[in-house]
Amino acid sequence: MSELNNVSGKEEILRIENLSINFGGLKAVDDLSFSIMENEIFGLIGPNGAGKTTVFNCITQFYRPTAGRVLFKTAQGETENLVGQPVHSIIRKGLVRTFQNVELINELSIMDNVLVGAHMDFKASGFEQALRLPRARREEKQIREKAYEVLQFMGIAGLAYELVGGQPYGVRKKVEMARTLMCSPKLIILDEPAAGLNDVETQQLSESIYQVRDKYGCTILLVEHDMRLVMSVCDRICAISFGKFLACGTPAEIQKDPAVQEAYLGEKEDSES
Amino acid sequence: MERKKSFSMNYYLRYLIFGCVMALLPLLTNAGILKTSWIGIIGGTIIYTIAGLGLNLLLGWSGLISLGTAGFMGLGAYISAYVTGDLGLPFEVGILLAVLIPLVFGILIGLASLRMEGLYLGIVTLCVSEVLRKTFDELEPVTGGFSGKQANFPTLLGIFKLNQQSTYIFLVVIMVLLMMLTYNLANGQLGRALNAMRGSQVAAQAMGVSLLKYRLIAFSLATAFASLSGALYVHFIRFVYPSTWTLPVSLVIMALIVIGGLRSVFGTFIGALIVYAMPDLVLKNIPVIGDINGLSYVLSGVLIIIVVLFYPGGVINLFYKLHSVITGGGKKKAALPQTGEEQESMEETHE
Repeated sequence: MSELNNVSGKEEILRIENLSINFGGLKAVDDLSFSIMENEIFGLIGPNGAGKTTVFNCITQFYRPTAGRVLFKTAQGETENLVGQPVHSIIRKGLVRTFQNVELINELSIMDNVLVGAHMDFKASGFEQALRLPRARREEKQIREKAYEVLQFMGIAGLAYELVGGQPYGVRKKVEMARTLMCSPKLIILDEPAAGLNDVETQQLSESIYQVRDKYGCTILLVEHDMRLVMSVCDRICAISFGKFLACGTPAEIQKDPAVQEAYLGEKEDSES
Repeated sequence: MERKKSFSMNYYLRYLIFGCVMALLPLLTNAGILKTSWIGIIGGTIIYTIAGLGLNLLLGWSGLISLGTAGFMGLGAYISAYVTGDLGLPFEVGILLAVLIPLVFGILIGLASLRMEGLYLGIVTLCVSEVLRKTFDELEPVTGGFSGKQANFPTLLGIFKLNQQSTYIFLVVIMVLLMMLTYNLANGQLGRALNAMRGSQVAAQAMGVSLLKYRLIAFSLATAFASLSGALYVHFIRFVYPSTWTLPVSLVIMALIVIGGLRSVFGTFIGALIVYAMPDLVLKNIPVIGDINGLSYVLSGVLIIIVVLFYPGGVINLFYKLHSVITGGGKKKAALPQTGEEQESMEETHE
C-alpha cells in the first residue's frame, strides 16, 4: 500500500489514495483514488464544479486534504507522501504546476518571470549574491542560458526582454509553461492550459505538450474543458463528478462509459425523451 | 554572455562615478561656489536615500507596506549615540548594535506580516514606530528625554577623527556601497523572489519561494537600512530629539521612493533629492511662497499625484526615456542582456 506500484513495466509516479477534503459541510473531493504512470499524459475531467482544481490544490498542498494520501516519486527517486508538507517545498521534489488564471509578474520581463521558476536552483547564499561573488555570477549565467533555451523551445525567445504585462494571453500561457520547465520537473500539473486560447493556439499547445514530455521526460497531468484537446492528447483520463470518482481509462473507454455520459449529458431517460 | 560582463563592469563604474561626483561637494563649498549649508542638506539627502533603499526593497519589490521607518531610524540613532557616548565604545560597535537591535524588531514584524496585509500592516508598523518614539521620550537615562541626546562625528578604527566634511564623504561611500548591494540583490534571485511574492503569492509558493523566509528578509533589510541611516544621522547631525521621529518622516521616505521610482536604486536618490533637498535648496529661496510653513509637504503631495497619474515608474523613468531618445531606441533593445532595470547615472542632476 505504502509504495508505488510497478504495473506491466511502467512505474507509477503519483498515486492519490482515498483523497477527501471538506469545506464546512461540503465534500469537495470525496474518497478519490487514481494513479499516474511515468511519462504519461493524464487528463482529469469533470463537469464544472466537479472539484478538479481542488484535487490539484490538494496535490500541491495549497489545500490540506481532510483525509487520504498523495504518494509521489520525487526527483530524488524516493516515494513520499506529500500531504502536510509546506507548499513551497513541493517544487523541490519535482512537482510543478501552472494556474487556471495565469499568475505572472506583469512588471517584469518574460525572461525574469521564467527565471523565477529556477528559484530552487540557486545555491549561492544571499551574501554571495549581494557581492556578486564568482559562484553567484556563474549560477546566474548558467540559469539565464537555460532560461533562454527554454524560451527558444517554447518559441518565444524573441520576446525574452519584453514586459509580460503587455503580452497577449497565448504568450502569457507559454511563459507560464516555460517557467515550470525551469526546475527540470518530473511531473507538471497544467490547470486548464487551453482556456482562453483560440483554435490555432490550442493546436500549438497540444504539440508543445507532447514535446515537453518527450524532450524533458516529464509526466503531465492536466485539467481541461476542451474535450477535443483532452481526447487527442491524453493517454489516460480520469473522470470525476461532485468530487467522486466516475471512471478511469483510455479516451475511448471514457467516451463510452455510461457514468461519464450521465454526468455530462444528464440521465438516460432525460436524453431519450 | 560576453556582453553581460561589460555591462556589469559598466554599472559598477556608474556607481563609482556617481560617488566621486557626490564627493566633490565639499571641494565646491570650500571654493565658495556653493554655500556650506549644502553639505548638511545633501548629507541629509544621503541619509534619506539609505532609509529609502530599504523601504524600496520592502514596498517596491515585495509590495509590503511599512509606516514605521521613522521609529527604526530613531532607534538606530539613539542606540549608536548611547553606545558611543555613554558607554564610550568605538563608532563601529555603535553602528553594529544600532543595526542588530532594531533587526530583532524587524524580524518580529516580518513574522506578524504573515497574518496581515495592506492597511493593517501599515497600522501595526505605525504603532511600533509610535511606541518607540514614546520610549525615546520617557527613557531619560538612555535617551536624554525631551532635551535630546548628543553624539560626535565618527572616529573610524579609533584613529581617524572625522569632521563634518569627511563625515559627508563617509556617508557618500556608505550610500554608494549600499546602492551596489541593493542593485545586486534586487537583480538576482532575491529580487525575483520578492517580485514573485508581490506579483502572485500562490505562484511564488508554487515556484518554491517561502513566503515566511522572504517576508522576514524583506523586513530585516528594510529595518537594517533604516536603523543604519538613523545611526549615520546622529553622527552627522550630532544631535537627536525624540520629536524628530514622527510619522511625517516615514511618509516623506515613502513619498520619495514613489516620486523617485519604485524598484529603482537611482530613483530612490533622485526622489530624496526632490523631496528632501529641493525644498531647502530651491523653494526657500523663492520670495513670498518660500516663507509658507510646510510648503515641502504640499510639494511632495502634488508631486505624488502627478507621478502616480502620469509617470507610474517615477521620475527616474523620465531619464530612461531621455536616454533612449538620445541613444536611439533600436540600439537599446540589442544591448539589453540584463534585467529591465537599466540604471542611468544621475550625476548631472545634483550639480
